[in-house]
Amino acid sequence: MSENAAIKILICQGTGGVSMGAKEVEAEFFRVIAEKGVDAIVGKRCDVIKTGCRGLCANDVLVDIITEEQGRVTYDFVTAEEVEKIVDEHIVNKTTLEKRKAKPYYNTFVDQQMRVVMTGCGQINPESLDAYLAEDGFKAVEQCVKQMTPASVIDEMKKSGLRGRGGGGFPTGMKWSFCAATPGKVKYIICNADEGDPGAFMDRSILEGDPYCIIEGMMIAGYAIGATAGYVYVRAEYPLAIERLQMAIDVCYEKGYLGKNVMGFGFDFDLRIKKGAGAFVCGEETALMASIEGERGMPRPRPPFPAVKGLWGKPTNINNVETFANVRHIILKGADWYASLGTETTKGTKIFAVTGKVKHTGLVEVPAGMTVREVIYNVCGGIANNRKFKAVQAGGPSGGCIPADILDTPVDYDSLIKAGAMMGSGGLVVMDETTCMVDVARFFLTFTRDESCGKCVPCRIGLKAMLDILERITEGRGESTDIDKLLEMGTTIKKASLCGLGQTAPNPILSTIKYFRHEYEAHINEKRCPSNCCKELLLWRVIPEKCVKCGACLKACPVDAIKWEKGQLAELIIEKCTKCKSCYDACRFMAIE
Amino acid sequence: MVNLTIDDKQVTVANDATIFDAAKAAGIRIPILCHDKKLHPFGGCRMCLVEVEQMKGRLIPACTTPVSEGMIVRTATDEIMTARKLVLELLLLKHPLDCPVCDAAGDCDLQNLTYEYKVNSNKFTDEKFHWKIDYENPLIERDQNRCIHCGKCSRICDEIVAFGAYSFVNRGIEAKISTPFDEKLDCEYCGSCISVCPVGALIAKPFKFKARWWALNRVKTVCSYCGTGCQLTLGVKDDKVLTTVYDEDQGFHNGQLCSRGRFGYQFVNSDQRLTNPLIRKNGVLEPSSWDEALNLVAARLGEAKNYDPSGIAALVTPRLTNEELFLFRKLFKEIIGTDNIDHSAGYAHEALTKGLKESLGVTASPAEIADIQKSNLLLVIKTDAYETHPVIGFEINIGVKRKGIDLRILSDKAGKLSKLPDAKSYIHKPGSELLLVTAMAKALVDADLVDTACKGLDEFKTSLAGISIEAVAAKTGISADTIKSLAVDYARAERALIVLPIGLGYSGHGKELTQALTNLAILAGKIGKEGCGILVLGEKNNSQGAADLGIHPTTGGRDAAAILAGCQSRAIKFLFVAGENPVVSYPDRAKVEKALDSVSFLVVQDLFLTETAKKADVVLPVKSFAEKCGTFTSAGRNIQRIRKAINAVGQSRSDREIFAELIARISGVAVSGDAAALLGELASSTPGYKGVTFENLGDNGFIYPVEISPKLVTVILEESPAEEGKFALVTGSSLYHCGTMSRFGEGPMLVAPETYLELGRKDAAKLGVAEGDSLKVKSAAGELTLKVKVGVRLPEGVVFAPYHFESSSINNIVTGAPVTYVTLSR
Repeated sequence: MSENAAIKILICQGTGGVSMGAKEVEAEFFRVIAEKGVDAIVGKRCDVIKTGCRGLCANDVLVDIITEEQGRVTYDFVTAEEVEKIVDEHIVNKTTLEKRKAKPYYNTFVDQQMRVVMTGCGQINPESLDAYLAEDGFKAVEQCVKQMTPASVIDEMKKSGLRGRGGGGFPTGMKWSFCAATPGKVKYIICNADEGDPGAFMDRSILEGDPYCIIEGMMIAGYAIGATAGYVYVRAEYPLAIERLQMAIDVCYEKGYLGKNVMGFGFDFDLRIKKGAGAFVCGEETALMASIEGERGMPRPRPPFPAVKGLWGKPTNINNVETFANVRHIILKGADWYASLGTETTKGTKIFAVTGKVKHTGLVEVPAGMTVREVIYNVCGGIANNRKFKAVQAGGPSGGCIPADILDTPVDYDSLIKAGAMMGSGGLVVMDETTCMVDVARFFLTFTRDESCGKCVPCRIGLKAMLDILERITEGRGESTDIDKLLEMGTTIKKASLCGLGQTAPNPILSTIKYFRHEYEAHINEKRCPSNCCKELLLWRVIPEKCVKCGACLKACPVDAIKWEKGQLAELIIEKCTKCKSCYDACRFMAIE
Repeated sequence: MVNLTIDDKQVTVANDATIFDAAKAAGIRIPILCHDKKLHPFGGCRMCLVEVEQMKGRLIPACTTPVSEGMIVRTATDEIMTARKLVLELLLLKHPLDCPVCDAAGDCDLQNLTYEYKVNSNKFTDEKFHWKIDYENPLIERDQNRCIHCGKCSRICDEIVAFGAYSFVNRGIEAKISTPFDEKLDCEYCGSCISVCPVGALIAKPFKFKARWWALNRVKTVCSYCGTGCQLTLGVKDDKVLTTVYDEDQGFHNGQLCSRGRFGYQFVNSDQRLTNPLIRKNGVLEPSSWDEALNLVAARLGEAKNYDPSGIAALVTPRLTNEELFLFRKLFKEIIGTDNIDHSAGYAHEALTKGLKESLGVTASPAEIADIQKSNLLLVIKTDAYETHPVIGFEINIGVKRKGIDLRILSDKAGKLSKLPDAKSYIHKPGSELLLVTAMAKALVDADLVDTACKGLDEFKTSLAGISIEAVAAKTGISADTIKSLAVDYARAERALIVLPIGLGYSGHGKELTQALTNLAILAGKIGKEGCGILVLGEKNNSQGAADLGIHPTTGGRDAAAILAGCQSRAIKFLFVAGENPVVSYPDRAKVEKALDSVSFLVVQDLFLTETAKKADVVLPVKSFAEKCGTFTSAGRNIQRIRKAINAVGQSRSDREIFAELIARISGVAVSGDAAALLGELASSTPGYKGVTFENLGDNGFIYPVEISPKLVTVILEESPAEEGKFALVTGSSLYHCGTMSRFGEGPMLVAPETYLELGRKDAAKLGVAEGDSLKVKSAAGELTLKVKVGVRLPEGVVFAPYHFESSSINNIVTGAPVTYVTLSR
């Protein structure tokens, strides 16, 4: 940092930050700095900069202050009330507020990652073209158009080994080459930002935190393929992402980075946003295209593949947000550099959305090939509440679970599939000993059953039939043939369904049966939920040997169904109990069963 | 061509074939529920799953997957059978299984496949749905509980009918096919959805509880309504036509039918059918024997002939078969010796018999129906052709939606086809189409876009000298630039076809308009080539046949208008009306009635005691198209067979038998009334029909060739000046009716039971009327009170009324001019 560099105050303003009051914090910084004349006092400009997501949304509002003396210091859980104090102490007095600093685990969380795709995210102002340009923005597309032929751009992508980050892992360069090879004057580029897996929000964070990099990635793809128009299909549930991306598109048009004769390079590229209307299945590429066309979002049979006959019947290349976000880095730093990251078959980094019973939930970008154990324990701090790890669901409702004994599975496409899960869009839901695996399967199936478009029979009716069986099992009405029925149906539904939704929806069931068959058997044969999770199978009583007489259950119970007095064992009054499980969740000693 | 192996059989098929097509070609049946060859691939039911060696890991839908070289396909492995059985079990889990009361039983793909795959138990249990059944719309009963979500109804309605009555709604297990806002179905009732429904979710209400499918005898014939010439399969039981049966392999239209064709068959077994000859005695029509009636007619005809053959005239409907028209002509032209014969009020065939005859030397269109799909630009004139010829409308829909045909509609009102993607409608002032087309020719000449080789070019150019495109623009309401660019677009299209529907509802300048259009085609070099030329759509099922056989005055005799005038002036003393109903369908009802009342002897042969028949001295009951054999010739020159499906209703006889009897009685020479023999006779004397026999007509008929000699013709422009302050009334066809016969069909009458006056929203607001209100419509000829229908397709100042109905028949106020100016009052 040079002598006169401004003091930078970076305030995380992703959806997580905003919902925790980042806007108020930002306003307060502006107010305090202006009112106190801080710039004059410290003799430097104080830049309050909004940024995208840092990843550890649980600790929002995150504020990074970068000064010459103290370097970069992160404060977490910042509220507007604390701003004045932070300014006084940290900026004016140049002393770090040690108590308010983010705990060491925050730095571990950050340092253990490798940020490639998310370099800009959380660092630069997503609403500023200048900020993007300062980070070599639009240099990659310039390099492509000025120094490379479309074919060599595709070769570079192929050489990099980048695979589609939407879940399937299809080699991106190859996909581009198919679309480039299809004859046709009109071709389209689509960015799939219909991120719908429960708990996954990496695409949202990139759009919110670094929207220009998506535009640039799509422009490069357009140049390589010969497409002059693109759509970004964003789900309407991402208002902030839409707002920022639209702002970026508008600025690009204004400054000549989009439209006719882009940047004077002699190639045209138009881009517009199409908002999704809340259907999960529209993340499937053919349903997505149907939706853009104004049809009901229902998948269409492939072949013909979009590269041959896609949007409006024209050759179309469709990649997801994270894939496009990789493109500029590959061009700028070279395919060889990119290929040096990751494993033999999965190059580069991958962003995971880690949620569930883990200490630090959030977005984590790591090089492909890191083990699941490292992600959960080294980056995210391990399991919360000192409970025992049971499994991690990788790949959301389409994926499968990875139990403790194969926790050293590397996170790459092929290893995860071998383990019975999948990369998917990168959701990792961590489960501990209190999570019932039958219930997990039921949860994901409830989701896919609701989100089935209703077009093909196996998915529409088959998932409902499977869910009926699972519900029966979790309610203690399971039958001895149920497991076989689920296995048989699941296998057939996978093979017989029309689109990715149906073809993967049975995965959570099949993988939980594979690794946790005993839990199913306990539910069916003993009418018992080993994780004490399925309400209908709980005994609803206090275990005297385990109860420490703390009374936490009494406080948690909303209906006065717990009898407890200081120093006494708690007692559960079954007549009053509504089986809400508040007491169970509140008990740190597993004393309720 | 692509080579592949299916179940160890080597198959070679076209590149664009699917695995399903290839298997079919190899004689291997793959089960399907959601596939239809007419529709875009869907791939929803998963019954057609097969295994492909090169695509291991999942099962491949045969109906959507294109073949590729060297593919190895298996269609019936254990895994496939398991998957198919699972699909059926799952479908049956929700299906109500009410087969005993379901009208589709016996014709149900789900039932048949369940049987074939022996699905006699279900691993699963679940509650059934209880969706509300739509009993409320007039023709289609919709029971979503039976639906298996193949989506065919929604797809056919969108892709081919281009109406879009249905769509999937909801997600997951609650997904279903629904109408807008889940209300009762409100569509154009073509019933295409019923035809493709693989189960009993959609059934034809008129057929409900009428018969089991397996009890039906199926008879292939041709629809007897419009000139499209759709093939039809009648479902017959106990000597009654009970329904029409869908056959996807029938005709150019793949079994597609419109509302009239599908639901209008009930006139055949209507209880209003005439069953006995009737003779007027003491002013009252009384039943008689055939002998008595025929003797009387023959005697009076003979007398009149002996007195003066030119005092005899005959009108005939072009609904009769070619063989019957041939005998009709023989009877009147040869035996009686009068040239006073005509059909369709004269003007409804002038486009062919005068227009094309003078321009091209033939009385038939040079283009065929298949040319629609082969063209790049369609110029549709007068109306959008959908209301008159709905199945040709389907062809246009498909052409525009799938092949991107550039559709241009020149009409006085917008129509359904105006809504097609990128269709351009040129809504001109009523009656000005002739001027408009002439101005287009002028624009071509001005732009030097004319084929210099065409005959009579210099003379034609001179005839256009007085035309100012700007002046035409003012008169038509279409700007000069638009006229010019339309002309240029037409000329520059690689292949361009003109479509002109004609009929009793579209009166005035038929000949001139046809000639002006043909001039345009000749000038632009758009004739005599594939996808080019002009297609004149005759109104009735055999309008083209009537033109081919010369059922109009050819040697200076009276045409229809002159015949009626002659009746009134008593120059015509004997009038024979075969199947026509001039009282309702010819212009100027008062004049027609006066004419019929004036004639000394009136013979009417018809299916029903029509308003015309009620005035007759003798009424002869005839057979419907379902009771006889013969041929019809479609607008596209396709000669097709009709076949007898049931025995005669009552004592009715075919028109053919009656004419033969009369010829025998009058001339004393027996003629054969045998259809096959008559076809042979007429084929040898009718250009293009040579060699045609019942045997060699085949399933799809025979499109006879025409030799044209194109010639530019100077068109006489007649202008009908607008009357200030009045509404322009244009008449035409209702989508649900054709002529006046459809009034005896239950289906059409349930949807469109009466005459109405359609007007635009602005005019309705100005007049302060709403849908269903009544308006007094007054013209120079008379006054009528009509129910109001408010729509969006009519420009301000223009109103529309269909012509088919007896009560409040529109010919009370229209007199055959291209436009009738009327005043409207509440």
